[in-house]
Amino acid sequence: MSAAYIDLARAHAPLLLIVMPLIGAALMLVSGPARLSWFVAGLVASAGAFVAVDFALGALTGAQPVAAVGVMLHVDGIGAFAAALLAVVAALTIWGAGATLKDSGGAAAPLALALMLCVTAGWTGALLAGDLGSIIAAVETAWLAGVGLVAVNASRDRAALNGALRMLSLGGVGFALMLLGAALFARAAGTSSMESLALARIEAPGLASAGAALMILGLAVKAGVAPLHAWGAAALGRSTSMVTFGVGALGMLGALAAMSRVAGYVMAAPEIGEGIQAALAGLGGVSVVVGSVQAVGARNLLRLTAYAGVSQAGCVLLSLALGSPAGFAAALVQLVAFAAAALALYGGASAGRVQTVAMLDGYAQRAPLASTAITAGALSLMGAPLTIGFLGRWRLVEAGVGAGWWWAAGLIIIASLAGVFYGGRLIERMYFRRANSAYAGEGGVWRVALGPVLVAAIATIAWGLAPGGLLRAATSASLMLGGISP
Amino acid sequence: MTVEIALFCVLGAPLVQAALILLLPKPPGLRDLIHIGFSLFAAGCAIYLANAVAHGETARIVLARPLPNVDLAFAIDPLGAMMAVVLTGLGVLHAVHAAGVVRAKQEKAPARLLAFIALSMCGVTAVAFSANLFSFFVAYQALTLAAFPLVAHRGDEEARPAARAFLATLLASSIGFFLPAMIWTYAIAGALDFQAGGVLAGRVDAFTANVLLVLYVLGIAMAAIPPMHRWLPASSNGPFPALVAIQALAVLPAGGIGILKVVTFVFGTAMEQAVIAAQALIVLVGLGMIAAALIALSKEDIRERLAYSVMAQSLAVVMGALLAVLPGEYAAAGLFAAALQIVALACAASTLVMAAGTTAAITGRTKVSDYAGLGRVMPWTFAGFAIASASMIGLPPFAGAWAKLWLITAAAGSGLVWAAGLASVAAILTFTHLGPLAANALAARAPTDAFKRPDGASILLAAPVILAAAATLSLLVLANPLAEFLSPIWARGAP
Repeated sequence: MSAAYIDLARAHAPLLLIVMPLIGAALMLVSGPARLSWFVAGLVASAGAFVAVDFALGALTGAQPVAAVGVMLHVDGIGAFAAALLAVVAALTIWGAGATLKDSGGAAAPLALALMLCVTAGWTGALLAGDLGSIIAAVETAWLAGVGLVAVNASRDRAALNGALRMLSLGGVGFALMLLGAALFARAAGTSSMESLALARIEAPGLASAGAALMILGLAVKAGVAPLHAWGAAALGRSTSMVTFGVGALGMLGALAAMSRVAGYVMAAPEIGEGIQAALAGLGGVSVVVGSVQAVGARNLLRLTAYAGVSQAGCVLLSLALGSPAGFAAALVQLVAFAAAALALYGGASAGRVQTVAMLDGYAQRAPLASTAITAGALSLMGAPLTIGFLGRWRLVEAGVGAGWWWAAGLIIIASLAGVFYGGRLIERMYFRRANSAYAGEGGVWRVALGPVLVAAIATIAWGLAPGGLLRAATSASLMLGGISP
Repeated sequence: MTVEIALFCVLGAPLVQAALILLLPKPPGLRDLIHIGFSLFAAGCAIYLANAVAHGETARIVLARPLPNVDLAFAIDPLGAMMAVVLTGLGVLHAVHAAGVVRAKQEKAPARLLAFIALSMCGVTAVAFSANLFSFFVAYQALTLAAFPLVAHRGDEEARPAARAFLATLLASSIGFFLPAMIWTYAIAGALDFQAGGVLAGRVDAFTANVLLVLYVLGIAMAAIPPMHRWLPASSNGPFPALVAIQALAVLPAGGIGILKVVTFVFGTAMEQAVIAAQALIVLVGLGMIAAALIALSKEDIRERLAYSVMAQSLAVVMGALLAVLPGEYAAAGLFAAALQIVALACAASTLVMAAGTTAAITGRTKVSDYAGLGRVMPWTFAGFAIASASMIGLPPFAGAWAKLWLITAAAGSGLVWAAGLASVAAILTFTHLGPLAANALAARAPTDAFKRPDGASILLAAPVILAAAATLSLLVLANPLAEFLSPIWARGAP
């Protein structure tokens, strides 16, 4: 009997991945105390992660047929891989955010958790949607949930309203760009269905190029790719761990993954591939440089992490720009690297309620485990050997050099050099400075927060040491750009 | 014990050593016993490995496969085995001396200091036994990170900027220059393994070879090639036991070993394609040797003077390795000179810095002008100081003499008489900044208030200096056996 239910769940796993977080979000509103809400949200997210990983493993190894029942879903390699990653990150972020529930205001915590689940559902929907219109609807769901998450924080700090407003206005621009782009692209390709797009014959290449570029630009706004990242610092600079996890880690990851998926389809058309390649490469290059420079100059740890994420997003775009399966595989590895580093850094900081870089002075003595997590995240952002950050950049450089893109390799080196300065500064402050007496009394959050953060830190190193499984999964996903047949 | 296990032990023992020291910081006797005992064990393993290499055995251990076709692997070869024996052997003396210094100076956080010294020794051993460029890169970065706390150990306003400069210079140069060179090599050869004869041999044109050589040489900043040498004077802010590790046994020798490995195992015969870059770099290191020796003369603080002095010596290693660019019998002579120079540098520099450390611990003096007459009250320490100075200058029969003889012979024999001239001028300048200092310490009138401590230097402080000084005599009898031991590398790897 139970085997039948499991088979049924497996058959409808894509649908479950979207519906489960939404049901969980509804439960948040009736589940009462903050701790109980958090526990329920954690269970829902964990169940989602389990389903997503099982689904991705089955789909990428070809062991499990995929069905789309009832709604317009279309599963492809990138979608399956990224949805699993997103679900795991969502589970970790929700469990990790539980330790600082009071920071959001106890009463607002269930709402914040519900919004985090909506963010998860939205981005998962964008990764599994069957047509361009559904993708846009899902992206907007996730984005507006993120705006709400930032705004909830306003009861604690009014500056959050500024962040929410910026997100709303810039996200609105992004939405308009995406909508216009999707319409143009669908008109040029004669279809908006993802299943048909891979094989579509482009009748008006100029129109299709413009449409694809606008869609990617719209998603770039939501992913915080420089120079379109004006919302990032305002939204994340003085936020709670809920916001940093939900928007800084989960949101950016979802947007980058959705962009990877869209790029995979539009670049498959040889008529417009080169133009999109150039646009992605230009945007990626700018993002790497701007993000790195801003991270070097940042004095706020949360902003520094956000800017480092912008630089990492640039690396993802550069990988996508290559347009080859190797490039897409590199992009997926970079996404994993970004997720692990963001979780480790944001989680390590939230464990001690650290916001500025100066507050890290002597942090290793106050919070040794959190400092270890931040160190692992910083090393990964530097691209230090034997971390997943190094692996991601190596794969990008390898693919770039193979395509003759030496300049891309140069940009990655610049990003790593910048990482030495901002990452090294964090490590130096934590381990080689005395604790500032003004911050010495801070910290003491519920230790359970460190569990997910340490998992991310361990993943950062473990996948750097033994990346075989991850690389195989990323390669399989990148070879299934056109979709997995039911 | 199999060779693989010995290789694993020589790499892993310092890690266990560091962990135990941190876990058992008290009582000090147990801490020091762990430090010295594990150093002895590592040296024993290194000797076992060298013996295995001499008998034609091979060993390779793979710790991880972080990239497709690229392992994190370590293997034994004559060059690595020889360096490991020398560095871990001197490391035992250093362990004894460090135990004495931290007691005499009541150094703060002694367990942390000794633990990171052990980790630095692990780093240089890993560099010596690295089986490919990636493993070398990992070991190099690990050594940088392990040595960083040694520079920052005091944690004061001087130490922190110095440590930042140390870290920034070494990491930035390795990422900015070495990493691109490694990626380029991978793109060309499809592999990163160190190969006898050179992984790039027959695969590169002249332009690529020249650019790659510049990238590699500048990327291995641990060899202190100008302008990537800032980390070396910055490191002189560290406590004396840290200085021995950085300037004599771990960081600086790692640079020399790296240059030798790249020239021998990455370029090999491809060095012939990189004549322009090699000659330009020889000019750079030759002028750098002279400049460093001159700057050393201007330094009043013994730590700064020794930092620039060892920089000049380290550049001689680079010069020797680069002489391999010229085809003919003298190419191998240059490589051999470089290898000998690393041995000579390690022996002499460790003696000098340990002697300076003993002096600082017992008398509190760190200014060279205050050294006058100290040899009369600390005869053993300053006898060692004088012997090591003679070796650094290149006076026979000490180790430095044979290394410099081979270097000048290789340069002149290759037709680069001007390079031989630069090396000779640097040797003379080394005499000017070390010779009078040693002579004045031994010959001048003894100061009346020499000792901070009434009982003078303990045997822990004096014996390692004398024994390390005695090691500088070793090449008198070991030069030929070493040449035979290393000959498989030259025979297959030299142009």
